[in-house]
Amino acid sequence: MRPILLQGHERSITQIKYNREGDLLFSVAKDPIANVWYSVNGERLGTYNGHTGAVWCVDVDWDTKNVLTGSADNSCRLWDCETGKQLALLETNSAVRTCGFDFSGNIIMFSTDKQMGYQCFLNYFDLRDPQQIEDNQPYLSVPCNESKITSAVWGPLGEFVIAGHENGEINQFSAKSGEILKTAKEHTKQINDIQSSVDLTMLISASKDCTAKMFDSTSLEHIKTFKTERPVNSAAISPIMDHVVMGGGQEAMEVTTTSTRIGKFEARFFHAAYEEEFGRVKGHFGPINCVAFHPDGKSYSSGGEDGYTRIHYFDPQYFDFELEA
Amino acid sequence: MRDTNNMEDEMEYDDGEEEPSFSDPEDFVDDISDQELLGDVLRDKPQEADGIDSVVVVDNVPQVGPDRLEKLKNVIQKIFSKFGKITNDFYPFADGKTKGYIFLEYSAPSHAHEAVKNADGYKLDKQHTFRVNLFTDFDKYMSISDEWESPEKQPFKDFGNLRHWMEDPDCRDQYSVIYDSGERTGIFANDVKEPIEVEERARWTETYVRWSPKGTYLATFHQRGIALWGGEKFKQIQRFSHQGVQLIDFSPCERYVVTFSPLMDTKDDPQAIIIWDVLTGQKKRGFHCESSAHWPIFKWSPDGKFFARMTQDTLSIYETPSMGLLDKKSLKINGIKDFSWSPGDNIIAFWVPEDKDIPARVTLMQLPSRNEIRVRNLFNVVDCKLHWQKNGDYLCVKVDRTPKGTQGVVTNFEIFRMREKQVPVDVVEMKEGIIAFAWEPNGSKFAVLHGESPRINVSFYHVKNNGKIDLIKMFDKQQANSIFWSPQGQFLVLAGLRSMNGALAFVDTSDCTMMNIAEHYMASDVEWDPTGRYVVTSVSWWSHKVDNAFWLWTFQGRLLQKNNKERFCQLLWRPRPPSLLTADQIKLIKKDLKKYSKIFEQKDRLSQSKASKELVDKRRSMMEDYRKYRERAMDMYNEQRPLRLELRGGVDTDELESNIDDWEEETIEFFINEEIIPIGDL
Repeated sequence: MRPILLQGHERSITQIKYNREGDLLFSVAKDPIANVWYSVNGERLGTYNGHTGAVWCVDVDWDTKNVLTGSADNSCRLWDCETGKQLALLETNSAVRTCGFDFSGNIIMFSTDKQMGYQCFLNYFDLRDPQQIEDNQPYLSVPCNESKITSAVWGPLGEFVIAGHENGEINQFSAKSGEILKTAKEHTKQINDIQSSVDLTMLISASKDCTAKMFDSTSLEHIKTFKTERPVNSAAISPIMDHVVMGGGQEAMEVTTTSTRIGKFEARFFHAAYEEEFGRVKGHFGPINCVAFHPDGKSYSSGGEDGYTRIHYFDPQYFDFELEA
Repeated sequence: MRDTNNMEDEMEYDDGEEEPSFSDPEDFVDDISDQELLGDVLRDKPQEADGIDSVVVVDNVPQVGPDRLEKLKNVIQKIFSKFGKITNDFYPFADGKTKGYIFLEYSAPSHAHEAVKNADGYKLDKQHTFRVNLFTDFDKYMSISDEWESPEKQPFKDFGNLRHWMEDPDCRDQYSVIYDSGERTGIFANDVKEPIEVEERARWTETYVRWSPKGTYLATFHQRGIALWGGEKFKQIQRFSHQGVQLIDFSPCERYVVTFSPLMDTKDDPQAIIIWDVLTGQKKRGFHCESSAHWPIFKWSPDGKFFARMTQDTLSIYETPSMGLLDKKSLKINGIKDFSWSPGDNIIAFWVPEDKDIPARVTLMQLPSRNEIRVRNLFNVVDCKLHWQKNGDYLCVKVDRTPKGTQGVVTNFEIFRMREKQVPVDVVEMKEGIIAFAWEPNGSKFAVLHGESPRINVSFYHVKNNGKIDLIKMFDKQQANSIFWSPQGQFLVLAGLRSMNGALAFVDTSDCTMMNIAEHYMASDVEWDPTGRYVVTSVSWWSHKVDNAFWLWTFQGRLLQKNNKERFCQLLWRPRPPSLLTADQIKLIKKDLKKYSKIFEQKDRLSQSKASKELVDKRRSMMEDYRKYRERAMDMYNEQRPLRLELRGGVDTDELESNIDDWEEETIEFFINEEIIPIGDL
């Protein structure tokens, strides 16, 4: 596969995201700049400037109109995708760790870290009500007393938010009442990333306990487990194949200091039904922090600690490959 | 009574009185039977019938004239009265000489039987070997009907290809595994990834199993006897009924099976040890046996033609297929302590201890000629042990001696070079006590474990052609009490079994390097596969009740598999029959080895990505479950479609191409690459 290297950040990548149609790839990092790229050739479309600290999360709505980012500068900002103009600034008391548009694109959620005496909160804003934005008043703010939220995605119809916590728990928070609808206690350590399948029916959680687990979004039924030897930083579900991709760190002793031309950190591919690893892609010079599949499933991207984002288009053999059964 | 008138006419009396007559009248017939009168005497009257059973016919008697007859009769008397009292003899004559056969009558039929048993075949002199038969036997053989009925034809039992396992395309060797404390026995094919089960049965054997020497049969033990199994499906091929059987042994050619049972021995019918013919299932011969302490009691010659056993002061050698004593008698060897066959030739080595002023001796005897091809005297011997090299190229006699004037025991190895003329003997002196000794199979090296725990050393010696025996290398501080050579030679495993907690050392003796040092905690057995590629170490439930498993290693000591088996008891590799390739063919294959290696490597790579059967089944069921889940999820997804449309203002976003009408097509050109191709001068 031919990787396209995106060099636009000075610090390590924190999140990457494709828009619904897949032609754009957004990347945010520990530097204050958010980038957007054409996924077909890696050409940069533009940047979103305004944050003053590390940008932890990014999301784009279904129509590719608005972009949402959350940062360690205690703000969550809304941008116009095409022009790059900042549309709204929502200040918070602590760093914004995760953010997202719901299915309709009308409601946004973001969570704040437990920092400096402030609790972890899950905030909901309705974009159709400009008053909420102006007053910086979320229509719903849910405190998380026990364990802070580390990653979250919206449910399939915008009824609830599925959040992963520092203690490994996964909870469904209602978008109407804020109460916990369902809980899954499958992971034993912090959830690093949660991503939905393209049809939003399933989600995959990547955890520090060296596994990634697949759940049904609505019932939170635990379906599959993918085991590795290293903490998993991020995982994504292929839209067209029964595959998942996972990115994480690497065994310290496996990393050699000799070869510098090609990085040894790998993205690992597992068969979704058999839970077996069938392939690895090398290239990053540091641990992989985020992975994402292109919505058409013909390529995937990974963002690493080395500050690079790599777009990989699959060879035809990838689609023909089958494990014997 | 006679007529008195006649009497006057016949006799002339002197003047005197008349004598009364006591004669019977002429027509008198007395009515008293002989039985009443002479009963007691009649009893001893010789009966015609009596005589026959006690009569023997001796043939090949020298034909002598009447002058030598007396001498002949004396000789016959001397020889044959050993078996009983000769009551009668008859030397038929013809043309002035004895006919050449005689009849002897004994006082009882049992004596006649003894005479037949022992005197038949007696060599009187070069030209006369007696043939002794019962007289009644002649009758028996004469009365056999002239019409010959052919024996009933037995239906042919087809067991299929008994060598089927050798045809495995991947050359996987098989091994038997007994586990579940003996309840289950399984046969597996050795695949590097994991053992492939070939056959598995519950209660297949009641105690343990044995393979025949060429791997054709699997023998299982039962209360009533032994069963042999083989072929592709391990069908029962043969059964031998021997109540209470405890031990078995095979002849090297697999033609005969020897079974031992302590139960059913009676004085007349020896049944402690029975020798069976494998193919027919017939009992060939039974033997007495006092104790089974040193099984196998009968040791076979390498070609299966002879088998021998040692009893007090005697070495009995039998030949097959007759099962009779070679030359009809055992060898008297006073004080014989131990013997063994060379694994390569029909040579027996035995030793006798010191006897007054005759020193201890090791003798090599050729069979069937009984020539002593080598005798070696040994002095001050305490004990001897015989160790043959696998091909019979060398014999090592481990001699424990107490040198004169000392009290300690010193050990020597007397190495007999069997392939050299007159079998020269070299001596290797050992300074320490010997724990284990083993010859290299197919080679001329041997390994010795010596010393005393905890200071145990291993030494490697090479028996060279120039008459020297060199110490190649010695490693000290070894944790080992057993030596296991690879059956092909060169590599060996030093193991500290049982009390030494399973320490393992893998050695390459071509340069005496330690390839790997490892451990299989509490290992009780080490078994090489017949090709010398793999080693299995195991912890048997019979010696240790936990962690029962068998581990598979490469010959270099790389651990391949750990197979835990519930209450694992025993693993035995299935032996291979000798190769059908000639030495030249093997040389040719070795030359082309590189070519073959490539093919095998490719095959290995392919097989690594091939999934085992278990894995494939697991995957199938996982996929099914996953599909079912996805179906349910998609059902719900489809139901929710109207909601989705509503949320996005009627825009259908379920598929990427859902609203293709909305798409605008735009053609963009962008720079990819520049290539300058010179066309040449136009």
